[in-house]
Amino acid sequence: MKTFKMQCKTEIIRVLRNRYFVFWSLLMPIIFYYVFTNLVNADVPNKAEWQAHYLMSMTVFSVMGSSMMTLGIRMVQERSQGWSTFIRTTPLSDTVYFAAQMVGQSVIHALSITIIFIAGALINGVSLKAFEWIMSGLWILLASLPFLAIGTLIGLMKKVETAAGISNVLYMVLAVSGGLWMPLDVMPKIMQTIGKWLPSYNFGSGAWEIVRGGMPDWKNILILIAYLVLFMLLSKYIRRKQEAV
Amino acid sequence: MNEILTVTNVTKSFHRKKAVNDVSFSITKGEVVAILGPNGAGKTTTISMILGLLKPTSGEVRLFNLPPQEKQVREKIGTMLQEVSVMQGLRVGEVLELIRSYYPQPLAMEELIELTGLTEQDLRTRAEKLSGGQKRRLSFALALAGNPELIIFDEPTVGMDIHARKRFWQTVRTLAEEGKTIIFSTHYLQEADDAADRILLFKDGAIAADGTPAQIKASISKQSVSFIVDPEISLEKLYLNIEIHDIFRKNNRVYIHTENTDRILELLFQEKIGARDIQIERGKLEEAFEQLTSETKDAI
Repeated sequence: MKTFKMQCKTEIIRVLRNRYFVFWSLLMPIIFYYVFTNLVNADVPNKAEWQAHYLMSMTVFSVMGSSMMTLGIRMVQERSQGWSTFIRTTPLSDTVYFAAQMVGQSVIHALSITIIFIAGALINGVSLKAFEWIMSGLWILLASLPFLAIGTLIGLMKKVETAAGISNVLYMVLAVSGGLWMPLDVMPKIMQTIGKWLPSYNFGSGAWEIVRGGMPDWKNILILIAYLVLFMLLSKYIRRKQEAV
Repeated sequence: MNEILTVTNVTKSFHRKKAVNDVSFSITKGEVVAILGPNGAGKTTTISMILGLLKPTSGEVRLFNLPPQEKQVREKIGTMLQEVSVMQGLRVGEVLELIRSYYPQPLAMEELIELTGLTEQDLRTRAEKLSGGQKRRLSFALALAGNPELIIFDEPTVGMDIHARKRFWQTVRTLAEEGKTIIFSTHYLQEADDAADRILLFKDGAIAADGTPAQIKASISKQSVSFIVDPEISLEKLYLNIEIHDIFRKNNRVYIHTENTDRILELLFQEKIGARDIQIERGKLEEAFEQLTSETKDAI
C-alpha cells in the first residue's frame, strides 16, 4: 500500500512537471475557449448554452489529449531508456505499476477538469447546476477510458519521435472531426456522418447532453465501450506479437 | 550449501542462433564473481536470464532456490544494467525514495549517498539532466537502494572515468566485506583480476574456464621452457609427455609450451638430455586474452 501511494504520487508529480502537458492540456484549451467564445463566435443566438457547450468541448479536448499523449509518450520513453527493464528487476509488481499509472492519470484529469471548469466560470461566467457540473466532470473522467487505451497503444511504439508525431496527428484529427473545435452541424454532411461514429464525438456528446439538462445517450456509451474493447484487444495482440520476437 | 544462484544447463537461442550454449555454474554466498569475456560471448544474455528478464530456451536458473521472477527474489537483489536508465521529471532524491519504497528493508538514504558518492546537489537535480557519470552513480545507488544480498552489475564501469572507476571498485570491495554476493560482467581482464575472487570466462556462449584469477591467467597465458641441446640428441621421450602442449626447434633452441613449467624442468633433468641455457618465459597475459577475444570476434 505504501508503495502504491508513493507510485501514484510520483506519477502525478511527473505529469505536472511535464511542460507539454501544462501547455497542451491546460493552456491551449483555455486559450481556445477564450478565443472561440469571445472573439470568433461572439454573436450566437443562445449565448449561455454555446458557452457551456464549448467549455465541455475544450475540457474533453484537454482530457483526451493527456490520455493519449502523456501516457503513451511516457511509456515509450520509459521503455527506450531502459527504465521499464530496470523496474522489472525490482519487487514492484506489474499490477501496482499499471494501477498507479491509471490512478495518477485520473487524478491529473480530475485536476484538469476542475481548472478548465473554473476558467470557464471566470472567463464567461458559465453557471450550471451543481449536479450538472459534477455529472459532466464525472462523465469526462470515465469516458476517457478508450483514450487511455489509445495511449497504451501509442505506448507500444519503439521511438519517442514516432509516438509523439502519430499521437499529435491522431489527436488533432479526432478533435476536429469529432466536433470538439466547432460543432459538427457546421460541417459537410459526409463529415457529420463519419464524425458521429468517432470516439471523440461520443465523448463530447455525453458532456454536451448533460449541460443541456439531459443525460448521455446509450449510443454514446455503447460506442465508447466498443472502442475501449477494440483498443484493449489490439494492444494485447500487439504486445503478444512483440514479445514473441 | 549456501547456494545463492544456480544455473543448470541453460541455453538461449535467438532465431536458431545459440547466444548461450548449455551453461552450468553455481555461486555461493559471499563470492565476488566476474563474468569475463569479449563482446558477443553471451555475458549480457546470461545476466538477463539470471535477472528473469529473458527466459532460457532450455535449462533452469534459480536464485535463493526460487525462480528469478519471484517477488522474494526481487527483494533480495539489486542490479545495474548496461543501458543507463533514467526516469523523466523526477529529481534524483525522489527517484531514490521511490525505489526504496519498493523494498521491505531499504538502505538508509545517508548510507546510499555515502556509498555512491552522490552529492546533495545531485539529489536535487532532475534525473534527465544528469551527466553520463552522474547517471552511472544514480544507477549504482538504485542497485543498492533495497539493501540487496545479491548485486548484479552488467558492464558497470563503461562510461566511468578513472576516478569514478576506482571509487566504484572500492565500494564493491566494502560491500563484499559486508558479506554481499556480487556478480559483474566485464570485458577487461584487469578488472576481473583486481575485483573478483572467481572468474567465469565466457567464450562463444559457453564457459571456457572457471576458477580464481590466478588459475584463469595461467590457463590463458602461454608459458614456455626453452633450452639449447645437441641436435644429435633425440627428443622423442619428451614428445610423449602429456604436460607438453607443443614442442619445436627455432634458431638452435628447443621451445616447449606448457602449463606446468616445473614439471618440464624436472623432466629435462630426469631424462638427462643435456639441456643447457634453460629459460622460462611467461607470455604476456593481456596479449593472450586479447588474442582469445579477437578470435571470438572473427568467429562472429
